[in-house]
Amino acid sequence: MKHIKFIARTVFVQNNNVEEACRVLNRILGKEEIFDQFRRTRYYEKPFQVRRRVNFEKCKSIYNEDMDRKIQFILRKNRVEPFPGCN
Amino acid sequence: MLLRSVLNRFPTQICSKTRQFQTTASLAKVEDRKQMLASLPEKDEGTAGEKSIGIDSLVSSRTKNLFVDADTPKKLFNGVPFCELPICNIRVSPNNTIVSLSDHKGLIQMIRSCGIEGFKNARKGTNIAAQATAISLSQKAIERGIKTVRVNVRGLGPGRMSAIKGLQMAGMNIVSITDSTPVSWNPPRPRKQRRL
Repeated sequence: MKHIKFIARTVFVQNNNVEEACRVLNRILGKEEIFDQFRRTRYYEKPFQVRRRVNFEKCKSIYNEDMDRKIQFILRKNRVEPFPGCN
Repeated sequence: MLLRSVLNRFPTQICSKTRQFQTTASLAKVEDRKQMLASLPEKDEGTAGEKSIGIDSLVSSRTKNLFVDADTPKKLFNGVPFCELPICNIRVSPNNTIVSLSDHKGLIQMIRSCGIEGFKNARKGTNIAAQATAISLSQKAIERGIKTVRVNVRGLGPGRMSAIKGLQMAGMNIVSITDSTPVSWNPPRPRKQRRL
C-alpha cells in the first residue's frame, strides 16, 4: 500500500512524551494487523499453513462473536442510567 | 510398586516435569527443542503497546493534536514548516539498526549504524547498541545545529523503541514519529521458512 509519507502512519509527540507517542502508533499498527502481515510475509507461508491459519481465525471470530453476545446478555441493564456513578 | 502408585496418583504432573518418552532419539530431540523454544522469553521487537487495549485514551480531548490534518505541512515548529523539517530515518532489523539524518528532500547528511559504532556480530542487534548509535548521531547533528527533527521508523527489531529514546536522550527535539515499514498484501513470494 502506497501512502504519502509523513501524512499516513504519523503521530505527533506531545509534551516531549516520545514513549507515549510510540505506544499509540504501535497500538494502531498492531490493531490494523500491519505488523502481523509484516511478520507473516518475512517467510513464505505454505498453502497448508494458510488454510490452517484462516480456519483458525474463522473459528476464533465465531467464538468471540458468540462470547461477546453472551457477555452483553448477562450485563444487560434495565435502568435509565445503566452504570450509576461511572460517567 | 511404590513408584507405580505415585505415578497413578499424579500422572499429569510427573509427565509435565520429565522429558517425553520417545523410542527414537530424533523425535525426542524435536520435542525438547519445541519445549525450549516455547519457554524462551518473547523477543523484543520494539513494539511496546502493540497488544494493549486503550479503552478511552484515543477518544479524549488531549488526542486532538495527536494526528496529522490538512494544515500540518504548513505548521511551524521552531520557525520551520513541518514539511521542511530534517528527517531522521531509523532502519531497524533483528540484527542491526541504522540511523541516518537527511534534509527534507531526503538527501542523506550523516549516517551511523550499530556496526560503525563498534558493536559487532550479535551485539549489533540489541537495544543498547541502538541507543548508543542514536545518541552519537544526534550529538553530531546538534553540533551542526540540527535540533528539531521528525522521525521515520522502518522495520521491526529490538532497536525500534530504544533508538528513538536515544535521540531524545541526547537532546533532540522530536516533532513526530512516522512508521514506514514496508507491508504488502500481495507480495512476491518470500524466501522459504527457516528450519528451527
